[in-house]
Amino acid sequence: MEGTVRSIVLTKGVPDFSEGAVSFDEDGHLERGKTPTVMNPNDEVALRAALQTRVRHGGHVSGMSMGPPGYGDVLREAMESVYTDDNYLLSDRELAASDTWATAITLSAGLETYQAEVGDIDLVFAGFKTADGETGQTGPQTAWAMDWPIVTHVVALEVDPDERRLRAKRLVEGDVDEIETVEAPLPCFVITDPEFEPSYRQASHRLTRKRLREETRERAADHDDHLTTWNHEDLNLDPDYIGLDGSPTIVSSVDPIPKAPSEREATMVDPTDADAMDDVLEELRPHAAGTSDHATEAGD
Amino acid sequence: MSDSNTDDETDDGLGHPTRDKKHVRALEDGHYEDIWVFCETQRGELLDVSLEMLGKARELMDQFADDYGEEERVVAFLMGDDCEGLAEECIARGADVAVYHDDERLERFLHKPYTEIAAHMARGEGSLESTDWREYDKPRYVLFPATNNGRDLSAKVQAELDSGLASDCSDLFIEENEVSNPVKTGEPGVKKTFEKVLHMKRPDFSGFEYSTILCLDNPGREFHPQGASVIPGSFEPMEPDPEREGLVVEHEMELEDDWFRVEITDADRLEEGVDLTGHDVVVCLGRGIADDPTGGMELGLELVDAFEDAALGITRGIVTSSYEFEGHVEAYASEERQIGETGQVVAPDLYVAAGVSGAVQHKVGMDESDTIVAINTDTDARIRDFSDYFVEGDLFEVLPRLTEAVKSDAAEIALEPTPDAEAEVEAGAAVGGDEDD
Repeated sequence: MEGTVRSIVLTKGVPDFSEGAVSFDEDGHLERGKTPTVMNPNDEVALRAALQTRVRHGGHVSGMSMGPPGYGDVLREAMESVYTDDNYLLSDRELAASDTWATAITLSAGLETYQAEVGDIDLVFAGFKTADGETGQTGPQTAWAMDWPIVTHVVALEVDPDERRLRAKRLVEGDVDEIETVEAPLPCFVITDPEFEPSYRQASHRLTRKRLREETRERAADHDDHLTTWNHEDLNLDPDYIGLDGSPTIVSSVDPIPKAPSEREATMVDPTDADAMDDVLEELRPHAAGTSDHATEAGD
Repeated sequence: MSDSNTDDETDDGLGHPTRDKKHVRALEDGHYEDIWVFCETQRGELLDVSLEMLGKARELMDQFADDYGEEERVVAFLMGDDCEGLAEECIARGADVAVYHDDERLERFLHKPYTEIAAHMARGEGSLESTDWREYDKPRYVLFPATNNGRDLSAKVQAELDSGLASDCSDLFIEENEVSNPVKTGEPGVKKTFEKVLHMKRPDFSGFEYSTILCLDNPGREFHPQGASVIPGSFEPMEPDPEREGLVVEHEMELEDDWFRVEITDADRLEEGVDLTGHDVVVCLGRGIADDPTGGMELGLELVDAFEDAALGITRGIVTSSYEFEGHVEAYASEERQIGETGQVVAPDLYVAAGVSGAVQHKVGMDESDTIVAINTDTDARIRDFSDYFVEGDLFEVLPRLTEAVKSDAAEIALEPTPDAEAEVEAGAAVGGDEDD
C-alpha cells in the first residue's frame, strides 16, 4: 500500500520497580523471581510514537519481544495499553542469559524473519533504556546488525512515506544540552527519548486515534489469536552465537548497594505528636514566604 | 591470529543469519594492549567526562605497570572538525597517544561514520605512518562516556569489534578473576583464571544493586577490547600538565558518502533548564505520590509556594515512571527537575523529601543539604539513614499540614489526634489522598 508505514516496536519485560513491588532476600539481593514482570516503562513511549505514525499514515504496527513464554503478557500489555496490530515473541531456551550483543543478534534475526514472512519494515521503534540494567545498547546494536540507519533520543518525529524519509528532533546531552534536527532515509530505527510527545493536531487524527485505541483494547482481550512465537530454528539462529554462549559479558557478582553508614541520626517524628511536629516546623518556619524579599520559584 | 569468519563450521542445517557468522569478527590468539578512551567533544571542546575518563585511565595504567611490570599506554581517540588541538590537550590530561580524525563532516556525532572510524582506528587499519606506533590487533580495554551519543557509539563500536560492553559504570579496576562458567572455561567443572580483567561496576536494577560486569574471551572467540561506558562525574580529571610528552597521530581513512545518509540539518542549544541549585529550600517528591501522582505534585507545589525561596525537585523514579500527570503539573515531572547522580546536585538549607525511598543515586544529589526532613510511611526506607527528621506518615496528610503551618506560621501543626490515630499511622499509605481538603 502506497503511503502507509509498517512499524515494529521492540519491547522488553522488566521487573516492576514501583514502590512495594520489589522483593529482596535476606542478603539484600533483589529476588527477580518474586518481582512481577511488566513492560519496560520507556517502551510505552516507543509505542506511542508508533501509534502516532499509524494514525497519521495508516499501515501496521507489530510488537516484538524476546523472552520466556510468559513475556506474551508483556506484549499483550503493549497491545492493550497503547497499540499494536499483532505481536511476535522470540522465545527459546537457547536464548536464555543473552547479553545485549546476543539479544541484538536475535532481534535482528526476528526482523529479518518478519521481512521474509510478513512484510517489509519501514520503521523500528524502541524505547531508551530498560529499567533492569540494559541501558540503551540493544537498539543501536540491532540497527548495527541490520546495517540500517538509526536516530536516537528522538523527542519529535515526522515521517514522509512517499519520499521514504523521516525528520526527527533529537536530544543531545553534553556539557550543554542541544536539540538537533535530523533527516534520515527509511527503513530506519527510531529510539525514542522519554521526553517524546506524540502530537495529534488534526481533529481527524484524534478521532482515528480514539478508534484505534478502542480496537486495540478489544484485540488484547483475545491476545493469543494475535501472537506469533518464533524459536531459534524459526529464526535460523545457531545456538553457539546466541544466549549465554554468544554473550561476551557475564555478571561476575551482584552486591546490594552498601547501606552508607548513617551520617545523620534521624529523629523519628509521629505526625500526631504536636511537640515532635513542632520541632520539624522550627526547621521550616525561618524559610516561610514573607520572611525576606526573595521571590519563590513557584510564585513566578 | 586467525579470523573466526574463515573457520570451517560444520553445517548444522540452519540458514541465515548466523550460519555465515556475518556478525562474528572476534579473533583467536589475538594480541591486545593499551586502554583506549573515546574523548567526546562538543562545540570544539572536550567534554568534562572525557577528561575524567583520561584521569581514571592514567590511574589504571600506572597501577597496571606496578602490578604487572609492563608499561601499557593510555590512548585517546577522537574525531571532529579540526580537533588536533584537542588531541594535544588529551596528552596534557594523561594520554600517552592521541589518535584523531579530522573531517568537516564530523563536526557533530553521526552513528555510521563515527562507528566506522572508531573501529578502523581500534583495529589499527590505515596508513603505515599512522599505525606504526602500535603492534597489536585490538585494544585491551576501551572506555566511552555514558552520554547520549557516547552510549550509542559504545554499543555500535563494540558490536563492530565483536566484543562486549558494560554500560553506565561508576567504578573500574583491573585484577584477575577465577571463573567456572563452562562457556568461558571451555569445559564444565574446570576453573580458569583470567588475568588483567577489567572489572566494570555499575548500579543496576534502577539503583538497588551494583553489578560487576566482566567481558571475557570464549574459547575460540576472544572478546576484546573489554569495553565500558562511564557515568559523567564518576572520576577525577588529572590537572593539565603541558609538559607531558605524548604522541599525536592523525588517522587516515576514506569516508564513504553512503555513511552520511543521516543528516543533521539544524542544531540549537537548549534553553538553560530549570536550576534547582541556589534555593534556600528544595521540596523533593518520590514515588510515594503513586496513589495520586497529580494530587501529590500539587501538594508539593503548595509547600514550595509557602516558602520564600524554594524549588520543586523529583526523583529518578518519577522521571521514569509511567504516571499520567494532568496538564498543569506535568511540566514539573520532567527530567530537568531530577535530583541525584544523573540529575542535579543540590545543597539547600532545608531539604524536604516526601515519599522518597532514598536510593544511593538520590543521596549523592542531596546529602550536603543542611537539614533533611523525610516524610515516609516506610520506616525501613534508606532515606532514614541520611535524614535529620523522619516523619513517619503519609505525605498526602503531612504535606498539607506543613504547608498550612508554614503559611500561617502556626506553632501548632500536629495532625488532629483522632481516636484511631495510631492505627492510621501504622496503616500508612493506605490512608490515601482524599483527606487533604
